[in-house]
Amino acid sequence: MTVIKETFSEGSSLLHRTDPRLKLVSAFLLACVTAVLTTIPGALSSLIGALCLLFLSGLLLLQVLKRLLLVNAFIGMMWLFLPFTTPGNPLFSQFGLILTREGIELALLVTLKSNAILLFMITLISTTPTVTLGQALDALHVPEKLNFLLLISYRYLEVIFQEYNRLAIAARVRGFVPGTSPRTYRTYGYLLAMVLVNSFDRAQRVYQAMLLRGFQGRFYALHEFHISFTDWVIAVFMITLAILIFLADKLLPVFYTA
Amino acid sequence: MHISEGLLSPPILVTGAVLCLCGTAYGLKKMDAAEVPTTGILTAAFFVASLIHVPIGPASIHLLLIGLIGLLLGWSCFPAMLVALFLQALFFQYGGLTVLGVNTVNMALPALLVYFLFSPLIRHKHYRVNTLGGFLAGSLAILGSGVLTSLSLALSGEPFVRAAQFILLAHLPLMFIEGFITAVVISFIKKVRPEILHRSSATELGLE
Amino acid sequence: MTNNAPLLILEDISFSYPGSRQPVLNSLDFRLGGNQRVGLIGPNGQGKTTFLHVCLGLLPLQSGRVLFKGTQIRTKHDLRQLRRNIGLVFQNPEDQLFCPTVLEDVAFGPLNLGFTPAQARERAAEVLDVVGLSGFEKRITHKLSGGEKKLLSLATILAMQPRALLLDEPTAGLDPDTREKVIRIIKNLNLGLLIVSHDWDFLYQTTAELKTLEQGKLINRDRNVLHQHVHYHPSGHVPHEHETGRQAVVGGR
Repeated sequence: MTVIKETFSEGSSLLHRTDPRLKLVSAFLLACVTAVLTTIPGALSSLIGALCLLFLSGLLLLQVLKRLLLVNAFIGMMWLFLPFTTPGNPLFSQFGLILTREGIELALLVTLKSNAILLFMITLISTTPTVTLGQALDALHVPEKLNFLLLISYRYLEVIFQEYNRLAIAARVRGFVPGTSPRTYRTYGYLLAMVLVNSFDRAQRVYQAMLLRGFQGRFYALHEFHISFTDWVIAVFMITLAILIFLADKLLPVFYTA
Repeated sequence: MHISEGLLSPPILVTGAVLCLCGTAYGLKKMDAAEVPTTGILTAAFFVASLIHVPIGPASIHLLLIGLIGLLLGWSCFPAMLVALFLQALFFQYGGLTVLGVNTVNMALPALLVYFLFSPLIRHKHYRVNTLGGFLAGSLAILGSGVLTSLSLALSGEPFVRAAQFILLAHLPLMFIEGFITAVVISFIKKVRPEILHRSSATELGLE
Repeated sequence: MTNNAPLLILEDISFSYPGSRQPVLNSLDFRLGGNQRVGLIGPNGQGKTTFLHVCLGLLPLQSGRVLFKGTQIRTKHDLRQLRRNIGLVFQNPEDQLFCPTVLEDVAFGPLNLGFTPAQARERAAEVLDVVGLSGFEKRITHKLSGGEKKLLSLATILAMQPRALLLDEPTAGLDPDTREKVIRIIKNLNLGLLIVSHDWDFLYQTTAELKTLEQGKLINRDRNVLHQHVHYHPSGHVPHEHETGRQAVVGGR
């Protein structure tokens, strides 16, 4: 049992092979452009762009859809509220609730935007293994301390998860059955406290190991990235896509409302 | 709770990002090299804790332990939360990229407040005071986070106010569970390894 | 001559953990030369790991002094020199390997010593070859097998080009194949060695002197006890006498 399966990072598609620095910057650009969209045609074009990237990434559609469904819970909750809490033209009313056209449009807008950004993240960031991502962040001048923090957390996630698992199994073989009771919460508290104490001790040993290898407060990353011709083409493509999405948001609604 | 992408208005997103940058920069500046492995490994531990689902009635909720993070990490909670949320976005697509700043602030700010308010209680010599401190820190951090999360949503537009109120309400049961568990963890650590709660910045015992 | 001058000298070292009255190390003396190979054996909880940590200044001294090549360790700079020249391999590789990739882990030490990235890569390739992990550079550290992690943790220390190695339970939890590999690697090293282990046969093969840690002091033992033990071992699971006259543990490893 592993805690992290970097499923999306496995593959050899065009996007998997693209320079991770370029992918990070593109994801950030496209996500920001999409976050400020205000119209449905704009959000729709962003989603279409994201779907194109999904096609380029060669990821399994079903896998991605399953993931999207899971993380749309928050958006799902919004559908329970927005259609009724947005003022506008009533479409339908019952039990004092008024469903408005504007409400549905707003819910649709946030759904499209949210999923477009999620797809940008999946196709442009999650297609890079975390270790390579760390190297790319370093190359993009993210502070080395922050980057080391990221990498060392990633390094010990699995170790700590297994540690927790062993403790949880030990509790279970001694007859612990979780329920809604103070006893359950206390047991979880003990398990967590144990994990934290072990992690703290481990951190001391790791720091000692660092000192023994001459650590003087600097963190180094070793990487070699080379921008290829294809990367340049992809860069141009990404910028064009961002501009198109922005323009679609500003221009298309003119035809849409006409 | 993580706010999803696509909901918040640009001013809120930018405010969150700027606050997150400031908090993280200050947290990193205050963190000396010796604390980096501790912060990193505790971040991993909190990430693992957030995967634990505890039952509540017929459903289950996952823990956040914001208060505990604040008590153990102080100012380092900003970079730690940023890293944890980035990893969650990377692996599970929870939260996101443009909301990363807002989500980080919504958790790190209450954690930091709780650190300033309740650290003295945690360090107090009376065991009961520690437990009380743990409970208050754990529950109020969740309340603070709930308030900030609802606020960021409500301030993004009139239609979101109702949903924001609902989210605040949803934080209430979590408040008690987190308060209780935080109290248990604090009293456990206090008994087993009090130096974790009392540590100053220097962690090396060596000759230097 | 220089090669025979003790690299590491510990004089009159005492150490006890806070809150405990029983000292773990009690005015202990120790010296390790550049081509001495010392095995240290003894039951758990006798302070063997503490002793190794004291050697490299990871724990504060309550009395006594540590000397590297005749110079007492006083400053951060002295300590850095000491740690650069005397490597310590931890018992648990998970604590020693904290970098994301194999290459970065091996290169961490050399980069801290001021090597350029290119030199660090070269050094990494050399030591990975020594431990039989050539071509592992891009592998993710935490996804390696237990045996590979052990070999890698040895490599990360060798990359510092130490003059002596302190090894804490180097064969604990290893499969027979990896254990053989570790023996072969250690036998081929031309370094001072201090090995803490419960593995009698391993110590017999890799060291030339034997000490035990008892009541906070190091005591020289007849190395033949290891040899005898290897001989006696197949002969049963009952407590047995060795020629030195000491009662040995109940048979079976």
